[in-house]
Amino acid sequence: MADQKTLGERLAEHGVSRRAFVKYASWLGSLMALPPATSRAMAAELAKAKRQSVIWLSFQECTGCTESITRSKGPTLEDLIFDFISLDYHHTLQAASGEAIEAARHAAMAENKGKYVVVVDGSVPMKDGGIYSTTAGHSNYDTLMETVKDAFAVISVGTCAAFGGIPKANPNPTGAVSIGDLVKDKPVINIPGCPPIPEAMTGTVAYLLSFGKVPELDHLGRPKAFFGENIHDRCYRRPFYERGQFAHAFDDQGARDGWCLYELGCKGPITYNACATMKWNGGVSFPIQSGHGCLGCSEPDFWDKGGFYVPLSGSIGPTAKLVGGAALAGAVAGVAAAAVARHRKASLNKG
Amino acid sequence: MDLLDFARGPAINVAMVVLVFGVLWRLLAILFLGKAPDRTIPRLGTPGPVGAALREIMRRMVPHPTFAFAERFSFFNGWVFHVGLAIVVFGFRPHMLFIKNLTGLSWPTLPSGVVYVVGAITLVSLAAALVRRLTNPVQRFISGFGDYFAWFVTLLPVLTGLIAVGHVGARYETLLAIHILSVALLFVWLPFGKLFHAFLVFVSRGTTGAFLARRGV
Amino acid sequence: MNAECGHPAPAASLADAVFAELAHALARLAETGEETVIDLRSLPFGPTDLEALAEKLGDGEVTCALEVAGRSEVRETGFAGVWWVRHFGAGDEIAAEEVHVTRIPEILVSHPDDVAFAARRIADAVAASPQNEPTAADEEDMSRG
Repeated sequence: MADQKTLGERLAEHGVSRRAFVKYASWLGSLMALPPATSRAMAAELAKAKRQSVIWLSFQECTGCTESITRSKGPTLEDLIFDFISLDYHHTLQAASGEAIEAARHAAMAENKGKYVVVVDGSVPMKDGGIYSTTAGHSNYDTLMETVKDAFAVISVGTCAAFGGIPKANPNPTGAVSIGDLVKDKPVINIPGCPPIPEAMTGTVAYLLSFGKVPELDHLGRPKAFFGENIHDRCYRRPFYERGQFAHAFDDQGARDGWCLYELGCKGPITYNACATMKWNGGVSFPIQSGHGCLGCSEPDFWDKGGFYVPLSGSIGPTAKLVGGAALAGAVAGVAAAAVARHRKASLNKG
Repeated sequence: MDLLDFARGPAINVAMVVLVFGVLWRLLAILFLGKAPDRTIPRLGTPGPVGAALREIMRRMVPHPTFAFAERFSFFNGWVFHVGLAIVVFGFRPHMLFIKNLTGLSWPTLPSGVVYVVGAITLVSLAAALVRRLTNPVQRFISGFGDYFAWFVTLLPVLTGLIAVGHVGARYETLLAIHILSVALLFVWLPFGKLFHAFLVFVSRGTTGAFLARRGV
Repeated sequence: MNAECGHPAPAASLADAVFAELAHALARLAETGEETVIDLRSLPFGPTDLEALAEKLGDGEVTCALEVAGRSEVRETGFAGVWWVRHFGAGDEIAAEEVHVTRIPEILVSHPDDVAFAARRIADAVAASPQNEPTAADEEDMSRG
């Protein structure tokens, strides 16, 4: 539960000085391309801030987003975020269960009214009264609406929460919708990705905490600091695209030489995320560097874009069948038209 | 479904259906029309129909010497944008991949940078063709809506394609969608307007050549 | 060196540009006390550019190793007031790399609140330390004395 100590005091009790904030702000400021003066302000604000109450709701999701955010090798810079927040409710990480944890959620909501942040991963099923996903006897919709009522802001973590994601993929059997579709009277920040880059999640929370406001968002509600750049534009394989050097198969010489993966269905040109610059696992690699095209997982409906291995210039849908049918029909129509014309000519000649 | 999904899905699918249906319909209707059998005996030394057709096709690749000077612009500029279009359509990897995705056919393509330059030249050449059409009194007199619309639907994909690769004015996915939609417009119009010459030009020239070469007794 | 290096010209030029910027920043620090921070990760540097810049700046007298939420390194360059700061994150990867033009980088200075907290702690320690009860160490000292 959130207490009245500042983050600086809390860390000091653990034997960590306020230098940690300077370091954290330098790192985050660099990631978010903040001006150095803003980073310094962030360090000062963080030290003075109270621990942020966070209620994490999990709906139709796979827990991959939680896996991503908790994936670190040891107590490091990136883990500081867990000292900055008070995670008051989280299905996977909570120790309590049953009535106790629901009570904890209500207590956190009452105690931090108007100040707590709701993080949601997963989409909300709306079909058949929302029966496809429930917790503690309540539909996801009811839990969401009850919890966000007094929230300061809502962070939709992962593509399912941000855009509906895989549960919403065609034919969307549960009538899944995104959090932004339901929450209209609170700021909703989308951190899509399947899963999102951990730094994009923690960075956004830290920004909220330091400045008490929502960072600048793009037209899909994503923080521009992390989703402002196109994967293709920042891809280290881009020169191969320009030179026309493409891998034709995953095991050909081009693939081994690290050529462009456009032909193998890479969706980098229409995807906005920080993978190409920030990379994964502390800067080790990202999908394209590991030899697979971008799936476009931080974009709406990425599951329904005609297949992961269809090049971006290829069409979506049963084009080949349609064209085959059209060819047959066109041929019949053409031959019939010619036959009619011949018949008419013959009858004219006779007449 | 966003604009790009619409362009890559329903829009291009409908356009492809119209294109293939229209082309086969019109082409077969003409090819199977047949003509009255010529019952005369060909004169000695008359070239065969195939040779005559090929000769006529080749002959019309350049203007008749009498008009060579007067037609120098149309001749040169016409070649530039036709060859340019062919290079852009068949030489750009993403374009080839569209066809490969449908048919499995593939061929070697050019570096993207080369195609961008050719695309830009093609665009200038198409613009010059319009200026010529508007400024030359004779050409202007014989031009109608079909000519201008054919020019418009040809120019549009070149222009939108260059804008898309240049990321000018909007996000790439929007520009790409607009480009694909402009191609859909071209596909829908192609079988029914003057652009159908893409399929008929050699048929008509060949037929004319074979017909005129024959001397019956 | 140049014979081995693939792209000597652009590498040199970017390092040169930052070097020139640092010269201005240092002049400002000397005249007005205005501090500057350059985020090296925000610049399109390659590894050779960083090496080139590090070589130009040279080594100074101070090198500090910090253990604060992972490792950090603060080093004064050959130019007094120009500091090279590196923060390490998960897996000991470089998480942030900056050049500070300042008399002393902020991260080295003890924060007033930390000082106040430490003052309380040390006072508590003094109060708790049984001055009247001799400790083992004290006894040892006494026996020697």
